[in-house]
Amino acid sequence: MPAKTWKSELAGRLPEELDREIDLFEGQIALRKQGKMDERLFAETRLRRGVYGQRYDNGLRDDGTGPKPLAFPCGELTKGPDTVWDAPGMQRIKIPYGKMSAEQLDMMADLAEELSDAILHVTTRQDIQLHFVHIEDTPDMHRRLASVGITTREACGNSVRNITACQFAGVCNDESFDVTPYAEAMTRFLLGHPDVQEFGRKFKIAFSGCDDHPCGLVTFHDLGAVGFVEDGKRYFKVVVGGGLGAVPVVAKVLAEKCPEEELLPLTQAVSRVFARLGEKQSRARARIKFLMQKFGIDELRRLVEEERKLLREDPRWTDYLSHLSATDEEPLRPGGPLALDGAPATFRAWAETNLRPQAQDGYYVATVTLPLGDFSSDQARVLADLARRYTGDTLRCTVEQNVALRWVSGADALALWEALDAAGLGAPGAGTIADPTSCPGTDTCKLGISSSRGLTGELRKRLTVLADDPVTRPLHVKTSGCFNSCGQHHVADIGFLGVSRNVGGRKVPHFNVVLGGQWTENAKSYGLVVGAVPSKSAPEAVEVLTRAYQEGREGDESFQAWVQRIGKGTIRKLLEPVSKAPSYEEDPSYYRDWGDPREYGTGDLGVGECAGEIVPWVEFGLTTSEQEQYEAQDLYDAGQHQAAAAKAFASMVTAAAALVRHLAGQVRDEPSDVVAAFRRHLVDTELFFDPFVKGKFADYFFRAFERRKFETDDPEAVHALLDEARLFLEASHACYQRLGATPPPSAAGLIQPAAE
Amino acid sequence: MTITHAERLQVKLYASATPPAGEDLVPVFHRWIREHVVDDDTLIDVVDYGHVKDGPGVALIGHGADYFYDESEGRKGLLFFRKRALEGDLRGRLQDAFTRTLEGAARLEGEGALDVAFGRDEVLVRILDRLHAPNDDASYAALEPLVREVAEAALGGAVTLERVGAGTKGPLSVRVRRA
Ligand code: SF4
Repeated sequence: MPAKTWKSELAGRLPEELDREIDLFEGQIALRKQGKMDERLFAETRLRRGVYGQRYDNGLRDDGTGPKPLAFPCGELTKGPDTVWDAPGMQRIKIPYGKMSAEQLDMMADLAEELSDAILHVTTRQDIQLHFVHIEDTPDMHRRLASVGITTREACGNSVRNITACQFAGVCNDESFDVTPYAEAMTRFLLGHPDVQEFGRKFKIAFSGCDDHPCGLVTFHDLGAVGFVEDGKRYFKVVVGGGLGAVPVVAKVLAEKCPEEELLPLTQAVSRVFARLGEKQSRARARIKFLMQKFGIDELRRLVEEERKLLREDPRWTDYLSHLSATDEEPLRPGGPLALDGAPATFRAWAETNLRPQAQDGYYVATVTLPLGDFSSDQARVLADLARRYTGDTLRCTVEQNVALRWVSGADALALWEALDAAGLGAPGAGTIADPTSCPGTDTCKLGISSSRGLTGELRKRLTVLADDPVTRPLHVKTSGCFNSCGQHHVADIGFLGVSRNVGGRKVPHFNVVLGGQWTENAKSYGLVVGAVPSKSAPEAVEVLTRAYQEGREGDESFQAWVQRIGKGTIRKLLEPVSKAPSYEEDPSYYRDWGDPREYGTGDLGVGECAGEIVPWVEFGLTTSEQEQYEAQDLYDAGQHQAAAAKAFASMVTAAAALVRHLAGQVRDEPSDVVAAFRRHLVDTELFFDPFVKGKFADYFFRAFERRKFETDDPEAVHALLDEARLFLEASHACYQRLGATPPPSAAGLIQPAAE
Repeated sequence: MTITHAERLQVKLYASATPPAGEDLVPVFHRWIREHVVDDDTLIDVVDYGHVKDGPGVALIGHGADYFYDESEGRKGLLFFRKRALEGDLRGRLQDAFTRTLEGAARLEGEGALDVAFGRDEVLVRILDRLHAPNDDASYAALEPLVREVAEAALGGAVTLERVGAGTKGPLSVRVRRA
């Protein structure tokens, strides 16, 4: 008997369009295997279906003694540039505004168990990701997802990513109105829309039902919509051009008062402007925030308004408005009071942090705390059953990597918690310091520099005690494994950003400590780096900072205000005792990352016999640059923005000069000389190039040089320059690590002695 | 019966006495990758899911198969997961999975510092292929004689079988005990 296939099994049960698309994708997989499809084209094709790369998919893995090839049976076949066909990858599953049904969760549990590693991972953008998936398993995975109404289309790639919204939408006490139907309508409208297919980069959209709370986090999205009501009519404040990433930008107001019927056409007009005028060649500058910076918000608004006038009327813009209640949820059980008296203390502790009363009397949203955003297939099935039993099937992934069950009757809360707890899902602390979030980092991400998950796992163990103190409980701790900032560390009270440092000729995983981000008011402002600590000292850094805050805060001063008041200089002094890695001989554990017994990246760096004793001059230069950046931050905090900008630029010159001298000997300190020499020796030779973003960080330096009079007093522009200077310094460290303490002859051979 | 086409399956041996913590397995699995201890497959990465209660524990991800120091059911054990890359039918894949699980267990037991032992008198077999082996009575009826035959040969004696997870959404599963 011929083997069954999912295609035949599900024939006639999938939405026609999805069915066709998946068949097409399967055909493209076959074409690529036959060498009939270009690898770049195939890469973008699979990304648009959410089929992503994963660490080691270039076929190399550092086993602690250096990079070693992974022998996959596919030979030379690739699924993209430098991406081996057989190497496992990640499947991102778009969950629009985080809403999923029990049936969908059951399906994802099955898929995780059969085709991944039995773990579902909730991301900071309300997606679910499965790891270690083989490319050839993805078409059937997509079919099975489509059979329960999920598409992975445009989950990655240069397109509109998952549209997010507050997990409390529709049941929140503070919202102006339920943004769910609008997020749903926008999802449907933009999915596959021809106007969103020509972007140079991804485009992220978020909704929020109010301006004050952080659930929607609209300010760091490419486009954000905040609902409000005026004179009984619904409007959105629409913001554009926000983003985290290497240099975070707060979105600016495009439309103060966009009527609900204008929301989709306005978004379409923005998309068309972005597709037409956005950068296409340089990925590093292709997000809409750069377009906004280039034109300014007023000109961008004018362009969008012009574009809006040209749009042909589309009934989908407003059709959904006549049935906004289509996304309403019905409770399964009658609401009832929450009985805490006499309930177990563990339940009461959970209820305090994980139960939030809904706007509807007698109902609660129960947040299920997921460590590192992970839950198993078995746990997923328990969650799905509990959603069916208690809630009428209403689950939402949250941006803090948890899952929320809505419409829980207060009378059922204890029984629900007991069932959750039995499945290992009853931990308290949701949204507190004991619930830190993290991007995948070095665990699975190709770009990870430090183990954000490893650190966050360690923090979870250590921070529980801080959740007992009402002063430290509300603090948010977030970690990103690299400057791409997927862990959203910029908006945490205490953020960590993975970097790498050279100590005595060996690489040591570090984290930049980012303080002062604002989580509330839709993540209104971003933190700044105050210094770097070795990865192994990062938990102590949190302890030092929280202790000082507990002891030194005035009245009910927020953490952000405390940071601002005592100043970054004082904070750096506080962190000093935990800022230095001991020598390898003293404590080799610092030379490994959390949860990873391999020596950190030594395979990438030849260690000379004397490397442990000699400090090359370049390291002094990089340290001086770091010091200058601290001074720039202090000036910024003191409101001396122009001076801060000049100092930040000076720090870039210092770092660049250190590298030039490392390679080429002499160069004068004049910025124009350093820039010229840096361009010649490090950029033209591509020695400075980041493996992924190429010359992006060098461009920061060149742009700063062009603007070096620094007449701006705009704090936001200076903040961005400080961020760019920081990234330039990190890139300089990385470049130095690639070159080694003694530049390889190949590098030296590429250049002539400096004429300066 | 399509069950013979089922490709993905798991075999688990349970750790006896006081099993070591999952994190103790992490350096061991990393070394297995470095030393290429599995000569006909490519081992790729190690992931520690110890933070997930009764979850997959510590995973040693391979191309054709994974090894887990698994914690599901609240019981630690060595779980071998055949994912792909094996010709033949389900009988052959079951035989291979039993052999590799027993070999993997012996190899871990040989890691002196770990101080781990796995019982050979109880085995869990799960078929992770809902297309060819849905968790229903017909699939179990087809699976039962195959597992019995393979288990008796692998464990060297008569066995009793017990279906587990019937009527649940979990995969088709059978518990094997030496008679
Ligand atoms: S922040 Fe960096 S390491 Fe983390 S997921 Fe994003 S790209 Fe990867």
